[in-house]
Amino acid sequence: MVSFIAGLLDATVQAATVLLLAGMGELISERAGVLNLGVEGMMLVGALGGFITTVLTGSHWLGFGVGILLGMILALVHAFLCITLKSNQVISGVMLTLLGAGLTTFFGSGWVEESIEGFPQLTLPLVGQYLVGIPVIGEAFFRSTATDYLALGLLVVVWYFLHHSNLGLEMIAVGEDPEMADTMGVSVFRLRYLAVLIGGGFAGAAGAHLSLAFSQLWVPGMTAGRGWIAVALVIFAQWRPRRMLVGAYLFGLLDALRIRSQSISLTLGPDAPLAGVINPIVEFLMNPQIMGTYPYLATIIVLAYAVIRTKSDQLAVPSALLQAYSRETD
Amino acid sequence: MNVAVTVDAREDIPVWLAYGTPVFTVLAALAVSAIALVVLDVNPVAAYATMFVETLFTEFGLRETLTKAVPLILTGLAVYLPLKAGLFNIGAEGQLVAGALAGTWIGLNVSLPGLALVPLMFVAAAVAGGIWAGIPAYLRAKWDVNEIITSLLLTFVALEIQSYLLRGPMQGGTGNFPQSERFSEAAMIPELLGGVHAGLLVAVVMVALTYVLMTKTRLGFEITFVGSNDEAAQQAGMSKFYVYLFVFVVGGAFAAMGGISEIAGAQGRYRAGFEPGYGFTAIPIALLGRNSAFKVMLAGLFFAVLFVGGSSMEVAFGVPAALVEIIQALVILFLITAEFFKSYRVGIDIKRGPTETPAQPQRGDD
Repeated sequence: MVSFIAGLLDATVQAATVLLLAGMGELISERAGVLNLGVEGMMLVGALGGFITTVLTGSHWLGFGVGILLGMILALVHAFLCITLKSNQVISGVMLTLLGAGLTTFFGSGWVEESIEGFPQLTLPLVGQYLVGIPVIGEAFFRSTATDYLALGLLVVVWYFLHHSNLGLEMIAVGEDPEMADTMGVSVFRLRYLAVLIGGGFAGAAGAHLSLAFSQLWVPGMTAGRGWIAVALVIFAQWRPRRMLVGAYLFGLLDALRIRSQSISLTLGPDAPLAGVINPIVEFLMNPQIMGTYPYLATIIVLAYAVIRTKSDQLAVPSALLQAYSRETD
Repeated sequence: MNVAVTVDAREDIPVWLAYGTPVFTVLAALAVSAIALVVLDVNPVAAYATMFVETLFTEFGLRETLTKAVPLILTGLAVYLPLKAGLFNIGAEGQLVAGALAGTWIGLNVSLPGLALVPLMFVAAAVAGGIWAGIPAYLRAKWDVNEIITSLLLTFVALEIQSYLLRGPMQGGTGNFPQSERFSEAAMIPELLGGVHAGLLVAVVMVALTYVLMTKTRLGFEITFVGSNDEAAQQAGMSKFYVYLFVFVVGGAFAAMGGISEIAGAQGRYRAGFEPGYGFTAIPIALLGRNSAFKVMLAGLFFAVLFVGGSSMEVAFGVPAALVEIIQALVILFLITAEFFKSYRVGIDIKRGPTETPAQPQRGDD
């Protein structure tokens, strides 16, 4: 049992990192008022670009950097369409997901056979060597890939940036009330471009982490919907970085559990009362595919509950989300 | 020299731009996708020639195209109708899957003669698709919960349920594949002339009904009115609640009929991954055809040509059929770019530098 939980936690950390990286990018972009539904496509481009670079150069950090860069290039298209051309953010985002999936399947089919030496497991420097011995949680939290630590570090940076730095607060202002921000001398266009680009970089990083640290191989469509879960995660977290940490680990735990659900048995013995009624229900709820619906259902419930209860003006959703901004001309 | 780009809102759209946009869009998308072919060392002219000639000028190609067009047209309508009311249904994929599962279940478990069974399968599919679309519609109509996000998320719920059913309760056939049992003869949609199944007829009828609804009925007028100005519509006594519910539920039913047509008409059994994301392709289809249901049908046919042509190109040149996805994305990309030029006039003013301005007494130093 102990080794099972230790393994589960280890898988949770790995799954959570992907969601955390992609989710942080989406959070920043949405706080500035731009919904990015292209995360899945940007992740795929980052995953393939990072993988090919690592195969060719042998450097996984270079691959990670290329992944970030490619995510930002797709994000630049999104920014140009949504901010400069004032296009519909939903359409542009769906288009980029299709484009990312199409491009990576088209150009990536020859790279499926390749293998790489990805990010190694590291013990956390300084204190890690003492903490890794802690039963159950030690291995999971103090021996991970560098990108796992990076994601957690970046979460602190993102939280501080958005809520305590001038630039971050201006970004939030741009997402809440662009007219007002413009009047105060904040460049709405520049800040939105910046937010979308950062968002794309994070999505690219999430993809590169997936191919370079998580699975250490490339398969077309390997993001398997995680980009969409990242979009859901931001809503689940009510656009707040700290809640996103909880959400990412919760969704990560679900992801890890569903892979291992066959090896757990929570059913009652045949003689227990009501076993005939309860066991099939438990088995149904623990089915890996049924568990796959939980993140989406939980997000819909959180979204609906928040809107119904708070009557939208108190909801944390950025007020200017999905709205293109143009200066009034006479 | 001083170059300034000016952007002014257009008062009305020039005729050539309004009618030319879909054509320019498609041509531009094909031209840019050619780069991807060149990168893989394939002659794009030869590849596109194969793509269109084998599709449009062979009996097999035409039959395949018309068959593929059925789910594409119906899911296109599923996005088109809510769009008219100002709503965005990006969950047509989930509605298609929900409907196809319900219809398949009826087809496998009810024994009736074909004349009764097939319509019953369509009804079951439409009901399931309508319910699946009804959830985001109700949340939007009643509490203003964003329908884009909920319809999208429900798609992934539907896909997980599909995979659960095909690995568990609905799994059938030889081997342990995620697929259902094969349909009996009675559950198959009969063929029309030339080997295309009768689902095509359903699609054409639905296009015609939608056209009549939108142009000839009071409800269609209300949908358009709500879509262009929902507050004015409510002041005029129209019910936004019912319009929102109607467009989504009927849209979901359309998508569902597309799903069951493909399974009971072309596939013969429910296979996991039986369709390459028609519900998402529906978005560019609805956008290309946003002016009328008949244009949705044309756009659906065009994408059917792309899908069929993509596979024949894959066979002939060894090029991944994913090129079709790239073309799809680029069609959307150029379409929304064109939208911008439709609503704004972009001018470039080149102001000559001070050397050519008439010499004037200058004040101060510039």
